[in-house]
Amino acid sequence: MTSTRNLLLGFTASLLLAIVFQLVRLPDILAAARPLWVPLVLAYWALRESRISTLLPAFVAGIALDVLFGSPLGQHALGLVIVVYIVERLRGIFILFPLWQATFALIPAWALYSFLMFWVDGATRHQADAWLRWLPVLSTTLFWPLLFSVMEALRQPPEDE
Amino acid sequence: MNTLPESYRRPLFPRGPGLGLRTALLALISLALIFNDTRGDSLRNVRSTLSFMLTPLVWMASLPGHVLSAAENLDTRETLERENRELRQKQLLLETRLQKMNALEAENRRIRELLASAERIEDEVLIAEIVAISQDPYRSQITLNKGTRDAVYRGQAVVDASGVLGQIVDTGHQRSRALLITDPNHGIPVEVNRTGMQTIAIGAGELGLRLPFLPSNADIQVGDLLVSSALGGRFPAGYPVGTVYELKHLAGEHFMEAYASPAARLNQGRQALLVWSESYLVGGDVDGAADDEAATPPSAP
Repeated sequence: MTSTRNLLLGFTASLLLAIVFQLVRLPDILAAARPLWVPLVLAYWALRESRISTLLPAFVAGIALDVLFGSPLGQHALGLVIVVYIVERLRGIFILFPLWQATFALIPAWALYSFLMFWVDGATRHQADAWLRWLPVLSTTLFWPLLFSVMEALRQPPEDE
Repeated sequence: MNTLPESYRRPLFPRGPGLGLRTALLALISLALIFNDTRGDSLRNVRSTLSFMLTPLVWMASLPGHVLSAAENLDTRETLERENRELRQKQLLLETRLQKMNALEAENRRIRELLASAERIEDEVLIAEIVAISQDPYRSQITLNKGTRDAVYRGQAVVDASGVLGQIVDTGHQRSRALLITDPNHGIPVEVNRTGMQTIAIGAGELGLRLPFLPSNADIQVGDLLVSSALGGRFPAGYPVGTVYELKHLAGEHFMEAYASPAARLNQGRQALLVWSESYLVGGDVDGAADDEAATPPSAP
């Protein structure tokens, strides 16, 4: 049985790790296709665990990303909060889907997140063109089954007891 | 078996504000923050406090970069020898040039004294390392490992070995963020080295720099070197900024545009030089053109 404390610990650790992954420098070609780690991890927890509320952590992580990336405070926070809301809202449906179906069903969420980033960038008069912006949607979709399986495998042992 | 774990304490009818309400609230806060942050400067302290708190994360994220660069340092003997040879040749070349430079500098100083000018050729500089963390790929920014602790101020010029890189836009205790000259939000006063014409170079992303609104009869050619100008008092004068590579006459317009490629190696170096500009050292403030960006109180750099 996983105690709530362990659960929170795992949640925080995975979120911090996601932020670090988001920051690690990649070669320029790969950097454009970097998956959206933080939304991925948050969506996983929002989907899998009803015991912890992901909404406020999403907001805090978003503010942290804004500070780290130098974007207007609140930009990433807005995107993350909305993604988490959608996933948590539709949890009842998602949880019934097999993995591959959930993978496809989540594409609109990533697209919405990317669009929000794009939109806020445009509204605050930052350079907001480049089709490359939509590349993360693809890579995030590809990474979802991977992340999901890894997290499930990591969390399995204690639950067996 | 479909049982809930014992620690599952979620009430059947949850109390407190519902999911939708909480989301709406947080989204509203985010929007208010975005609005506030783009309009004014009031959140700067919050931002610097937060960025200080997030320093461990940045450090962790830059670890792989450090490891990689350490691995790169393990060169073969052959490459080292070759590099050594090349460097020695380059040093010889530079030394000969420097001899002339010393004489020129002395001459320049004498002439300037004659003119009773306060300008000096040497600037106060500080070497900062570019921290290996990724920024948003759609923003041309770099993070440096020097901050207010080293008297870095907002608006300070950043140069590298071959030209102007950009300017500091955000300072933390031990970190600062610089906007590169190719960012569309960045403009820098430049002087055409050949003719002394003053104009402004605006960042154009992939295209390098754009010089808009040149008179259609302006004396500017492809290949002209642009150097920084002290107009506005933000950048130290005389550092190379870029080279003109294209002139564009717009049909039916009174103006022409020029495009220049930046002189600094924007995406390559690991180090950058922070320069204390003349007006900051002498006047103690970043003057007029710096509008609202009054820097931190001047302490001797």
